[in-house]
Amino acid sequence: MSGLFPLEFLNEEAHLLTGILMGFFFGFTLERAGFGNARKLAAQFYFHDMAVFKVMFTAILVAMVGLYSLVAVGVVDMSRMWINPTFMWAQVIGGFLLGVGFIVSGLCPGTSLVSMFSGRIDGLVAFVGMFVGSFVFVVSIDWFPSLARLYVAGSMGTSTLPEVFGVSAPVLILGIVVMAGLGMIGAEVVERIFQKRRQAVELTPAPTPRARNWKFALTGSLAVLVVGAIAASPAPPVIAPVEPIAIEPLSLAEDLIDGDPNLLVLDLRPAAMIEDGMVQGALPAADSDAALPYLQSLALDTRVVVYDEVGIRPQIPQEWPRTLRYYFLTGGYEGWRTGVLTPIEPESYDLEHRERVARQNQIAAFFSGAAVQSSGVSAPPPVISSGGAKKKKNRGC
Amino acid sequence: MTPKSYWNPYLAGIALGLVLLASFLIAGQGLGGSALPKRTIAVIGSQVAPEASAANPVLGGYLEDDTNPLKNWIVVEMIGVMMGGFIGAISAGRFKATVEKGPRISTKSRLYYALGGGIIMGFAAGLARGCTSGQALSGGALLATGSWAFMLMVFAGGYSFAYLVRRQWT
Repeated sequence: MSGLFPLEFLNEEAHLLTGILMGFFFGFTLERAGFGNARKLAAQFYFHDMAVFKVMFTAILVAMVGLYSLVAVGVVDMSRMWINPTFMWAQVIGGFLLGVGFIVSGLCPGTSLVSMFSGRIDGLVAFVGMFVGSFVFVVSIDWFPSLARLYVAGSMGTSTLPEVFGVSAPVLILGIVVMAGLGMIGAEVVERIFQKRRQAVELTPAPTPRARNWKFALTGSLAVLVVGAIAASPAPPVIAPVEPIAIEPLSLAEDLIDGDPNLLVLDLRPAAMIEDGMVQGALPAADSDAALPYLQSLALDTRVVVYDEVGIRPQIPQEWPRTLRYYFLTGGYEGWRTGVLTPIEPESYDLEHRERVARQNQIAAFFSGAAVQSSGVSAPPPVISSGGAKKKKNRGC
Repeated sequence: MTPKSYWNPYLAGIALGLVLLASFLIAGQGLGGSALPKRTIAVIGSQVAPEASAANPVLGGYLEDDTNPLKNWIVVEMIGVMMGGFIGAISAGRFKATVEKGPRISTKSRLYYALGGGIIMGFAAGLARGCTSGQALSGGALLATGSWAFMLMVFAGGYSFAYLVRRQWT
């Protein structure tokens, strides 16, 4: 399936230019919502003004329902969308700390920009603080191995809530819409209780009469529900596509060396390209129908790793059994060649780095058939996967 | 000129949601708010201490190909945010060099809090690979599992420390 969106650009510069435009509207909207004002933002955490919650969740609902509706009608190709990878523990701890920083400074990173450019000195100072904090983090991760481990702890690749809860995306979205709607009604109630004690931040529009506000929240939720239902309706016959999870070449290499019996590697490239070689033990599967009977014979939860030449996230064919777990090799065969088959030179004298290089070279030797130096052992000794060798670009935020 | 009042939060939310949706459709990714500091440090680091920067688990990722780490969609988008915030504030008559704080705290103390909070957020956004914009808002709309965990924890962190710093605001 290839949709029209996300748009493809002729060159990187054109793509970057859209960033200025999107950022402009983002900053403008944040300013108009009152989010250049630290007092307005902080009021969220004292229940005086729930605007942060209301704006954020309304925005999430609009973007989420809009996006997945367009996915349902086939004009958006989610495989080309950048989805934040999950590193559960890093995000849980980082999220908590960010919340602490938010209430201490009264601003979050994006809104500190708006605050600063509204002339607010506290916004400027918070933004300077973010540079300091980023620097502290970058240095600390070199100094404290435990922080480096936390940075990759709970790695789940590209994981989405529908997969985690085992429901289709439309069902999950309806659940979020209902909960956010209830949350907004709750926010209205909370604000009324606390506004008796506290003045709202000036410039905040006067609360609309109770009935109107409730009606507004309700019609809003209903409208979103209706759109969501429309998006959901064509969905049942079309089974939600299986989203394969990314697996790094080195990680696959280690699993192959360990001889994991519940692991199958499939080469999706056309036969002509296979001539250059394929991942050890892989089966050619350019024809998805031909592979089907074999896949159906596999045990429950067998891991199936597929790869192409360059590592584009593939669409798993609808007919393939859903009882298996699908992965795709990041970087494809090219990534396997450069990341596993090619020995590398150490770049620094850091002990951990050298151990990693040595480990990779042992793996390279194992797969390229060259004799492993040191001893006659055929497989390198298992080492705890570093997991830190993620080479993905960090595009988020 | 009296400043214009803020937008109704639900209308502002709809506007923000449409911007986010446009960003998904046009650029293939959501909005962000914390890449600029990290990537600026990568640029400075690559000049001052090239080897250490390349070996760093965070900076190394930005430096591995030869393009300038600042030539990045989110960085450009953040510059747009500055422009949009500036035009927004000017056109609403809200641009004013001042410090936002409650009545019970001195300007100097408030700025220390802002600095401290900024440092914590810089660290946190590094660890979590994003902030309220890139993780909670954008990742949330994409239904990314970790982004939802992040979002809930931001509220948890904010609410659990709000009482301790109430002197700033009330």
